[in-house]
Amino acid sequence: MATYLTTVRKNDPKLNYLLVGGGLLLLLIIVLFGAAMLGAERLPLFDLTEQQRSILFDIRLPRILLGACVGASLAVAGAGLQSLLRNPLAEPYLLGVSNGAALGTMLAFVYFQSFEWARPLLAFAGAGAATVAVYRMARSRTGMNVERLVLSGVIVTTFLSSVIVMLTTLLDAAKLRSFTFWLLGDLSQSTMNGVYISCGALLVGTLVMTSQAKALNLMMVGERDAFDFGVEVGRVRLLVFGAASLVVGAAVAASGSVGYVGLIVPHLVRLTVGTDNRYVIPFSAIVGGIFVVFADTVARTAIAPRELPVGAITALIGAPLFIYLLRKN
Amino acid sequence: MLEVRDITVRYDTREILRDVSLTLQSGQMIALVGANGAGKTTLIRAMNGTLPLSAGRIELDGRPIAGLSRREIAQRIAVVAQENETRFPVTVIDFVLAGRFASGKAFGWETARDLEFAENALQSCDLDGYHDRLMDHLSGGERQRVVLARALAAGSMTLLLDEPTANLDLSHQAMMFRLVRKRCADCGCSAVVITHDLNLAAEFADEIVMLKDGKIAAKGTPAEVLIAENVIHAFGVDVLLDRHPVSGNVRVTSVF
Amino acid sequence: MRNSLKLSAILILAAAVMGACRGSTVAPNAADAPKHEPRAVTDDMGRRVTVPAAVTRVVSLAPSVTEMIFAVGAGDRLVGVTTFCNYPEQARSIAKIGDTMTPNMETIVALRPDVVFVSSASQLEGFTKLLEQNGIAVYVIDPQSLPDLYGKSLRQLGTLFDKYDDASRLADSLERRHRDICRITNGCAGRAEGGTGPAAVRVFVQVSREPLFTVGRSSFLSQVIRDAGGILATENVETAFPKLSKETASALNPEVLILSDSEDNKEPNDAFKNAPAVKNGRVYRVNADLISRPGPRLIDALEQIAMDLHPEKFR
Repeated sequence: MATYLTTVRKNDPKLNYLLVGGGLLLLLIIVLFGAAMLGAERLPLFDLTEQQRSILFDIRLPRILLGACVGASLAVAGAGLQSLLRNPLAEPYLLGVSNGAALGTMLAFVYFQSFEWARPLLAFAGAGAATVAVYRMARSRTGMNVERLVLSGVIVTTFLSSVIVMLTTLLDAAKLRSFTFWLLGDLSQSTMNGVYISCGALLVGTLVMTSQAKALNLMMVGERDAFDFGVEVGRVRLLVFGAASLVVGAAVAASGSVGYVGLIVPHLVRLTVGTDNRYVIPFSAIVGGIFVVFADTVARTAIAPRELPVGAITALIGAPLFIYLLRKN
Repeated sequence: MLEVRDITVRYDTREILRDVSLTLQSGQMIALVGANGAGKTTLIRAMNGTLPLSAGRIELDGRPIAGLSRREIAQRIAVVAQENETRFPVTVIDFVLAGRFASGKAFGWETARDLEFAENALQSCDLDGYHDRLMDHLSGGERQRVVLARALAAGSMTLLLDEPTANLDLSHQAMMFRLVRKRCADCGCSAVVITHDLNLAAEFADEIVMLKDGKIAAKGTPAEVLIAENVIHAFGVDVLLDRHPVSGNVRVTSVF
Repeated sequence: MRNSLKLSAILILAAAVMGACRGSTVAPNAADAPKHEPRAVTDDMGRRVTVPAAVTRVVSLAPSVTEMIFAVGAGDRLVGVTTFCNYPEQARSIAKIGDTMTPNMETIVALRPDVVFVSSASQLEGFTKLLEQNGIAVYVIDPQSLPDLYGKSLRQLGTLFDKYDDASRLADSLERRHRDICRITNGCAGRAEGGTGPAAVRVFVQVSREPLFTVGRSSFLSQVIRDAGGILATENVETAFPKLSKETASALNPEVLILSDSEDNKEPNDAFKNAPAVKNGRVYRVNADLISRPGPRLIDALEQIAMDLHPEKFR
């Protein structure tokens, strides 16, 4: 596939990417429609009663749209961070960004429950702090190597996890249950407000990330190379870290930790269209949306009327798929 | 024109370069030689504005390099660094096109001109038909040529090359030097090449700069620099010097 | 000077005598205990549990159990309770051994209890082995319904603590109150007999607002709601505490909403905004501790819910 695309690309590159992009968008629309048709309640296609309209527009659609935003956000953050850190294994969850956001959200959950913006704001702050911490730990005088990076990510992730576990002892039984469910990745608390916040963050984040795509193409093969060829490395790093924290913060505040999206989606996209970030980043957004909406549809319907956390489904699909891809290459 | 004036570079307290000066005129090709750890790579990185100077200054076309943006520098100077590896399956053409970063817009797509530069660069590095090969599937020598092609594609007037021939076979070593030499002659470009091959340096360079422990040990035409005294001083080995039977340039042979 | 010396001497002597006295009052008890053989009792899961003749030090691993022990008049024998045990007020001042799922075994063993009370099979599996290795009996109190509670659990507790009369009085009173409610609501026919009469009100119990948790058929609340003259709107959901799809919740159209009253469960979930319960103002808050603990106060919950469901019958 990759060779096919790049071979024809010489003849008219943009047309082919346009085709792939168009095809993915079409697939996203189909998946969105399919998800809107499926749910714990069966809805007729036409002539909905007032109650059925309410189920569709107040409950199901916000959740589907938020799922798409969350998936897109995590995939975009994954694609950007991977290129920036020259590591195909970099992922918001692995790097502690998700856990930073989770800790921020949890603080909002415990101390600022009444303030609606506290969750996304603290999640963003937490994501940013975790990113900077991992980056500084991974960076030595001789530059940054991949092993140090992954190790720092694991250290920060486990550290934040234990802080979260410690904080859960402050919660009473009822809060603990809802928090645990949220921590596993849960989209059931979707509102249109959540969709607006998440979509806004996604839009800004993706634009910033895509604007740096050409620079990331150079960063991907070497930070020093990028510097030599005219990339303001520090500025790109700041923008990409900022954009990743923004989208991951918004996504985690809305849905908890949905794992594996940021890891396998950019991976799959690169297998299909090559490594050029001008395509990888926006295409990852679309594929990430498709992936999470699909996974959440399973979560909503598999044991209806009860529900599963969506994070369990993404991990269930993502982990074996990732191992397969890893072995294949 | 790139002018290095009395620069000193330190890492912490260690002095890597001390009072180094040299001038790279347009059309000129300078070979930078010296033992391992003499400061060759550091000098090239400093000339590119990448390292902070402890003393001295570097001017690019009459303007201090410290005052230029990365983009402005990259438009004028292209670097072939020592090899690095990528973990992503980047295609050769994507890799080479990335060299056009400073010449094009910060975002958007490549223009026909960008593609033309990339094509020409690939061709001149003997890389026809490599477009869609993946960087991580190439041999060391092939990769080195792609890295050179990327620098050529940038279209800048000055090339700084750090051991570009390290992994190349005999014919590609010569190709490399001939290519750089020709560019200097044709478009008034200039180049600094780090090499351990004193014979290639003697054959192609206008000037040889010999570094020893961060200081310039000798500087001048190949005939002036490559004398027994200098070589023994810089490298600590005994050599035999004579004339190349075909070109008539200096020839250096180690004596074991 | 000499006087004060004399005073000190007297005080010291008095202290020594008092200490000796206290020692001597303890001694007969300790000496008595071995006289009676240990006895075997049956717990709620039908296990035979061997306990000392006089059970004087016990630990409770569930708030409902703590309430029962206090209710049968044996609260003074509790030497350890969970952090969730907040009723009655005296329970708060008893040593804490952790929460229900992660009690601290060292703390429990150090308290040297005769019996540790657990409330569920999962707790039994998790903690029994270690406790029994330390010679501590584990007793399960797990009533599945109100009749279970007053017919079996409380009376057995009475036997165990040698408080049979207190326990019987309490059980009889619970039984009387239960029958009174049944008479009024006519709702206690029981599941086996095909459920409740035509007056049954469809009730949704909202355990937490976000994410939306409720109760299903396996919960003891299912029967409580029936007794109160209602029926769970989620009666066909098997799990005891399921997280429910909001779509389903919205389509259930409950006539009454019961909110387990806690800080973030004060309002109905948005999924109910068109439900008859919300439109007709039939949303009731019941103390979360009352409806989440199958203990003696469950009868209070039943009475309150019955009155909420059928206010006309209680005039």
